[in-house]
Amino acid sequence: MTTHAVAAPPARTGRHRSGIERRQRVGWLFVAPFLVIFAAFLIFPLIYAFGMSLFSSTLATGTKFVGLDNYLKAFTDPLFLGGLGRVALYALVMIPAQLVVALVAALLLDNLATWLSKASRLLIFAPYAIPVVIGALMWSFLYSPRFGPAGTIFELFGLDAPNFLSSGTIFFSLVNVVTWQWSGYYMIVIYAALRSIDPAIYEAARIDGANGWQIATRIKVPMISSSMIMVITFALIGTLQFFTEPTVLRSVASGALPADYTPNMYAFALAFSYSQFNYASTIAFSLAIVVFIGSFGFLFLTRKQNGLK
Amino acid sequence: MAIPTAEVAPAALDAAPRSRRTRLTREQRRDQRRNRLAAQGGRRIGSHVLLIIMAIYFVIPIWWLFVAATKSTGSLFSSPAFWFDNPAAFFTNVAGLFEHQNGIYWTWLGNSFVYSFVSGTGATIVAVLAGYGFAKYRFKGRGFVFGMILGSVMVPLTALVIPQFMLLSQYGLINTGWAVILPSLLNPFGVYLMRVYTQDSVPDELLEASRIDGAGEWRTFTTIVLPLLRPAIVTVLLLSIVGTWNNFFLPLAMLTDPRTLPVTVGLNRWLTLSNAGAGGEQVWNLITSGAFISVLPLLLSFLLLQRYWQGGLTLGSVK
Amino acid sequence: MKSKILAGVGIAAVAAAALTGCSSSDGSSAEASCTNKIVNEDATQVSVWAWYPAFEDVVDEFNNTHDDVQICWTNAGQGNDEYTKFSTAIESGSGAPDVIMLEAEVLSSFSIRDALVDLSEYGAADVKDNYTEGAWKDVSSGDSVYAIPVDGGPMGMLYRKDILDQYGIAAPTTWDEFGAAAQKLKDAGAPGVLANFPPNGRAFTQAMFAQNGSVPFVYDNANPTDIGIDVNDQGSKDVLAYWEDLASKGLVNVDEAFTADYNTKLVDGTYAIYLAAAWGPGYLQGLEGSDESAQWQAAPLPQWDAADPVQVNWGGSTFAVTSQAKDKEAAATVAKDVFGTEQAWKIGIEKAALFPLWKPILESDYFRDLEYPFFGGQQINKDVFLDAAAGYKGFTFSPFQNYAYDQLQQEVTAVVVDASKDSATALDDLQATLEKYATEQGFTLQ
Repeated sequence: MTTHAVAAPPARTGRHRSGIERRQRVGWLFVAPFLVIFAAFLIFPLIYAFGMSLFSSTLATGTKFVGLDNYLKAFTDPLFLGGLGRVALYALVMIPAQLVVALVAALLLDNLATWLSKASRLLIFAPYAIPVVIGALMWSFLYSPRFGPAGTIFELFGLDAPNFLSSGTIFFSLVNVVTWQWSGYYMIVIYAALRSIDPAIYEAARIDGANGWQIATRIKVPMISSSMIMVITFALIGTLQFFTEPTVLRSVASGALPADYTPNMYAFALAFSYSQFNYASTIAFSLAIVVFIGSFGFLFLTRKQNGLK
Repeated sequence: MAIPTAEVAPAALDAAPRSRRTRLTREQRRDQRRNRLAAQGGRRIGSHVLLIIMAIYFVIPIWWLFVAATKSTGSLFSSPAFWFDNPAAFFTNVAGLFEHQNGIYWTWLGNSFVYSFVSGTGATIVAVLAGYGFAKYRFKGRGFVFGMILGSVMVPLTALVIPQFMLLSQYGLINTGWAVILPSLLNPFGVYLMRVYTQDSVPDELLEASRIDGAGEWRTFTTIVLPLLRPAIVTVLLLSIVGTWNNFFLPLAMLTDPRTLPVTVGLNRWLTLSNAGAGGEQVWNLITSGAFISVLPLLLSFLLLQRYWQGGLTLGSVK
Repeated sequence: MKSKILAGVGIAAVAAAALTGCSSSDGSSAEASCTNKIVNEDATQVSVWAWYPAFEDVVDEFNNTHDDVQICWTNAGQGNDEYTKFSTAIESGSGAPDVIMLEAEVLSSFSIRDALVDLSEYGAADVKDNYTEGAWKDVSSGDSVYAIPVDGGPMGMLYRKDILDQYGIAAPTTWDEFGAAAQKLKDAGAPGVLANFPPNGRAFTQAMFAQNGSVPFVYDNANPTDIGIDVNDQGSKDVLAYWEDLASKGLVNVDEAFTADYNTKLVDGTYAIYLAAAWGPGYLQGLEGSDESAQWQAAPLPQWDAADPVQVNWGGSTFAVTSQAKDKEAAATVAKDVFGTEQAWKIGIEKAALFPLWKPILESDYFRDLEYPFFGGQQINKDVFLDAAAGYKGFTFSPFQNYAYDQLQQEVTAVVVDASKDSATALDDLQATLEKYATEQGFTLQ
């Protein structure tokens, strides 16, 4: 349903040109409110923060300009690099997990139209209504060796409940929390995309003998590939910036989750625990660079399927 | 035999030779249909079961919260996690929410409402205007600006907190609701959604016609364009409201006075207080019941406004 | 016309917000919004950040008795949450209160950023004699005084008499006896353990090291760029090795402190002994899930050398004047006087279970003879905490104490939880890490 601009008549009267110019100005006017806020709360802070990242401020000796040396320090900082490796690993596991859950749920919902499926849809989406802080609070209770149900459930099988908050298990515990929190949202996006496919296509496929599985994998999934790419891109950006869930769980698992567990947490700790605001800015921008490369790289690799211009 | 793909399918409908269709006899087709329906029936049950299992997984923590909200602190630590102990304790908890620290919980809840609605509405208005501007006006620099907006989501908030704090503090807005509302007016994703939706559902011809009729740009926008954008507007509104309601880090950084806190930050304060020692207080029952009450508004609105979610999130995903 | 409705709602909401927002945005942030009542509107107002809930009564007490100065109190969060806000305010140049409650361990971290006023210029010497030697040392750096002490955390040992009696164990007085008791408890098949050694103990861990002679930091704000670091001394290594041994044999737990789990284990008998600061009793009493039959008693902390007892401190808080204070005189008055009266301390002791460092109350008969029902009427101050407070000699913290604690926690976790390092290596690693950090931060190592 792309629309094309009605070809402007080639008349070169002054009135028409000023009409075009006037319209351009009006365009800016419409965009202006957003741009003002954008400039104030994003551009200005960005520039300021970038400026901060070029200075080095030590506790003992004060601030001095070091230019890009800070960035050199960041990209050779084992804590930053370690954190990057971690979030990359999380991305490799968490994104497929969320995508699979979202996709399976969406496909199931697309096939069913009962009240049960509608109720399920709402329930699966419900975690989106829960602030991440409260979600993490709930899971910190559920993971608790004492108060969580794990103890009683595992006892039924005669096993000892694992400690979900130890350094060996914290990875999967966090994957679980994030999957729980966000899969519903991605499911809705995919489901909406599925709903907009013309059902006539399925009919044609069935006549040709395709079964449900084939329809799902060979028709539906390719047709919503641009939605899925969008989901993956947002999930990627979010995972690389992983912050809130591990921070909230730190209150019950500070052994397994050190303050520099992810690059974003590291930036936060540098700023607010160790008072190193300049280096914190550097880390944050370095992370932004990685996110930029990662997400645009991904979009470039999938440029055929993602439907973006 | 090629399974029809997206591009091929419509053609296949037209071009399927009659010979292929009559290859299957009537009986064979009937059998096929019966098998398919039977398989579908079995698959239907299987699908439902799988769906229900998934739904249970997502509901478990919420159920836990609901049950926990009905318990007193003592019973929270002694009774099993997933079933009630003495549900009447819920009313004691609610009473506690009114008493504790002079009922500050309800102030928090009110703050959350105000911040979300004000910034949600504001962000939507701004996004609708901007989306329209990007979609329908070809002004210089449009692409660049739009790209910059999308790229902006890549910068972690941690970098921006200090400068934002300084800016707001210059105008004396720190520690007021504006410190949360103003930055929350920024919703790049909302602008993106509105732009795509506007592009797809507002034909240029309509705008031209309106201009030829002599209507001004603003008039055209309000009388012709806005009604067409209604579903998208509602979706962006809902997304913005939810985003601000659930926001934690921004109010944590900008607000100090307990009476300005939204409910997310307020409950977190109580949580820290309950975990720590030295003059702290253990208010676990208030935390759980407070958390439960605070998620009710959003959960209920999700329930009542379902069709907007589904409709709106199509936007921007399928061209 | 949904857009019209939306616009209407939006305008109404903005109007409502404007009304509520206006009332709290007059003037600068810290002043206008007081949680307490101002009694005398004309007097100078001093903004205070403090997190003890019972503080409100103390504030009212102060406001009712001072005509020239009034306190405007806000609770800006507890401990680290408040420090985060303070740090932000310092960095951006505004938003800090006049007076702020700080734990002694972070004073150097803020004084090095010129965020605190040296109170020796504002009459700190007048009140010096009201505080114990150890307490005063904690708030001083050389000749400068950066805060006025409020409450402290001299350490003792709280134990479950009923559990120890049940297994025929005497309350240990030395660490050797402690280890033996732990073994005896385990051998008897008790469901719990003797005690817990939290890897995130931070100040607790450091106090344990200090008790064996550790002096980890030498720092004086007069020479702010010099620092001495010695965290891998033999005393610390011996202490960590001791706990490593107990943990590896399963004689003590290594649960993280200050979680819901830990809190319950404190009171339900999983730990028979709680190595506590003087604020521990108040803490215990507020916890849920208590064992009905529990009988708690207090005893002095076990010693390494019974002949030469060493007292240590864990926690406590102070009031400092910030450099953003508009009227530093008034702010200093508040810092000195707010917990400088008997009435204030009665509130602090009875409602917030604080341990006073203010001598007139600390050494009073009232406090000495105070009987604690939670301990079956035992006079725990007389028996334990007064000696601990008197014997405490003070401690020097580093100007990057948060960082030091985080690193300490990582090393201790590696030793007792993951068992991936032995204690000597861990502390050597800690020394190396801290030295590297200090050098990077421009300090000169002594």
